[in-house]
Amino acid sequence: MKLQIIRQRNLWWALSSALILAGLAGMFISWQQFGAPLRPSLDFVGGTRLQFELDCSKPGACDQPVDVAIVREILATEGQANSSIQAITDRTGKPVGVTIRTAPLTGEERTKLQTALSQKIGDFDPTKTQIDTVGPVVGQQLFTSGLLALLVSFAGIIVYMSLRFQLDYAIFAIVALFHDILITTGVFSILGLLFGVEADSLFIVALLTIVGFSVNDTVVIYDRIRETITLNPDRHIDDIVDAAVNQTLGRSINTTLTVLLTLFSIFFFGGETLKNFALALIIGFTMGAYSSIFIASTLLALWREKTGQAFSPNPSLDSIASSDEASS
Amino acid sequence: MGRQRLILLFIAALVIGALVVIWKIPTQLGLDLRGGSQLTIQVKPTEQVKEIKPDDLDAVRRVIEGRVNGLGVSEPLVLTAGNNQIIVQLPGVNDPIQAERVLGGTAQLDFRKQKPGTEARLQIERQQLREKIAKRDELRKSPDVSAIERNQADLKATNTAIAELFEKTELSGQNLKDAYPGATNSQNVWDVALQFDQRGGELFAELTKSIAGTGRTLGIFLDGAPISANFAYSVDAKYAQTGINGGSAVIEGNFPIETARDLAIQLKGGALPFPVEVVENRTVGATLGRDSIQSSIYAGLGGLSLVLIFMVVYYRLPGMIADTSLIIYTILTLATFNLLGVTLTLPGIAGFILSIGMAVDANILIFERTREELKAGKTLYRSVESGFYRAFSSILDSNVTTLIACGALFWLGAGLVKGFALTLALGVVISMFTAITCSRTLMLYVLGFPSLRKPEYFCPNLPATKRSEAQLSS
Repeated sequence: MKLQIIRQRNLWWALSSALILAGLAGMFISWQQFGAPLRPSLDFVGGTRLQFELDCSKPGACDQPVDVAIVREILATEGQANSSIQAITDRTGKPVGVTIRTAPLTGEERTKLQTALSQKIGDFDPTKTQIDTVGPVVGQQLFTSGLLALLVSFAGIIVYMSLRFQLDYAIFAIVALFHDILITTGVFSILGLLFGVEADSLFIVALLTIVGFSVNDTVVIYDRIRETITLNPDRHIDDIVDAAVNQTLGRSINTTLTVLLTLFSIFFFGGETLKNFALALIIGFTMGAYSSIFIASTLLALWREKTGQAFSPNPSLDSIASSDEASS
Repeated sequence: MGRQRLILLFIAALVIGALVVIWKIPTQLGLDLRGGSQLTIQVKPTEQVKEIKPDDLDAVRRVIEGRVNGLGVSEPLVLTAGNNQIIVQLPGVNDPIQAERVLGGTAQLDFRKQKPGTEARLQIERQQLREKIAKRDELRKSPDVSAIERNQADLKATNTAIAELFEKTELSGQNLKDAYPGATNSQNVWDVALQFDQRGGELFAELTKSIAGTGRTLGIFLDGAPISANFAYSVDAKYAQTGINGGSAVIEGNFPIETARDLAIQLKGGALPFPVEVVENRTVGATLGRDSIQSSIYAGLGGLSLVLIFMVVYYRLPGMIADTSLIIYTILTLATFNLLGVTLTLPGIAGFILSIGMAVDANILIFERTREELKAGKTLYRSVESGFYRAFSSILDSNVTTLIACGALFWLGAGLVKGFALTLALGVVISMFTAITCSRTLMLYVLGFPSLRKPEYFCPNLPATKRSEAQLSS
């Protein structure tokens, strides 16, 4: 199998553009609904999330799902009418409890609510309770530090790549990264609109991990382009890019595949908390491999062609001599 | 060959050492896995003090630490975070309502008056209190939850018994402006000086007048319980006419400096130097935590086996070597976590599982390169050598970029995010060693067996001519 990367580049660019546009549309709609490009979790907007599970050791306690209407009524009397409520089940589908998301509650308010709920619904198992209260300040802080971390790692990667390669390589690697991040965010914003998937602090972690990892494939291909250029300074850049991508295709796919295997394992077995995290990484890493193969390399070729560097400017003896050190 | 054998021995020793470490040193689990409560407390500036300095934050931390110790929780942890936050970790606490009240500054300090005729009983109860508090401090570092609970129940009973011997007065912590340790004339004997506001001064004078010279005491209570083992003080007979007036007083307890300082902090604790607010509360029930541990183990084993199978199916003999290295990687990484005392949280475990998938990346780069060299007609030995040699720069570059992102996450992220960055970064560094050094040594060792020196074990579908060529010259 040989991919005609350069010849089909319009197709790849159209595909990526369509994905990005769909994502941007999703973010736009989200912005109008939630005031944010993604459906924000309480990590960012603040609030209290309570998860109560019934004490199933008592006979008959877990026979029926928690009646959401009753919970809503209790919440209304506690002044938390604008809360979202969800009955939860365990893995076997047995009804076990309820999660409630409200405005931030103080300890006293929470205890009052919990007592009211227990009276109507039944006793809860204290060892299965989960409480998350986040003040609005914390969310803001998390968001800014996340954004800062993203910018810092972008800058770090540009500097490192320019040192190891050349500036134009670095810039297109970053373009490919933006592509991965944009698509992942876009997909999550659409998922948020359709299925209520929320972006929490782990989503920011996922984005940063995508930044760190998906540039790997790009590095491998760039490394090969550089090596091929030094070995064959008289070949056209399009030709070189095509060859380099095809030669490294196996490793690009396999390195991503092994990571995806572990991610799918986390997605299916790792529990509820990590599910969306794994999903974000799966999308981002897949996009990372895709963009390295189809976007970063074709853009580099186009750039070199347009700036009149389709052929290596000075095939000096130095570069040939150093080709032994070049690598895959 | 001698050198290879030496490295092989070194790796074997490392693995044995790592297994011993895993066996002997327990893994530190985060609160989201063992169950417990983490509270983030925000310290707010006041009109007078607009900026919170590190010293101020530390003072608040000390107060909070004192209060946390009063909660009777096993292995609590109090840390400062950033410029104005304090993080309190309370393992095993399912409902942190008490902690939130006490730490959030809503706890009440008040001064009470001993009821007449209770002198003898107070003597006994004070002795009890002293013993139980000493026991509590001793148990603080112990993981024995049931002993702590027993002690806590005992302490509560004593506290209630003592509270019954006192009657409330109007004087509360709100009337106390300041409390600080003061030196006396004797060496290493300290007092605690109290400063009341105007109303407080009047109430204090009244209170002390009523008990001066009677042998009955004035008790200081926090949230209805004695503030510390040194909670009750008698008033000298010379104040019987006037009470201690003027709005200030000195507790002459013949304290060593530490006790005086702690008491002053505890007294001031009734009115913390700064207003505080619990801004974040993350609580996970113990059973939920246990469930998370279980699903993490499933996810980890699942991911590991999938990668092991993939490598051996796709890469054959080198795949087996990569698998061996990957298992060594897993053992070494887990041992490093235990050795460095890395606290494993759920995202941390995710980072670790993810790093299993990344750890073989270097091997993939190496083996692909080896195959290429074989296809180009090089000998087996030379193909393997240049596979390792030429893939190195790609491996280095890609790992450095991952480390850059980890660094950004670690320095700028908080709490859970830090855990993820740390485990991923450690994983990347250790994988550099296992995927390159371990694999290379094992590979060269395997090549020492003539029966295994078959190119088709390394690269299936190698054209027949290349195959004979490769074998011939190996």
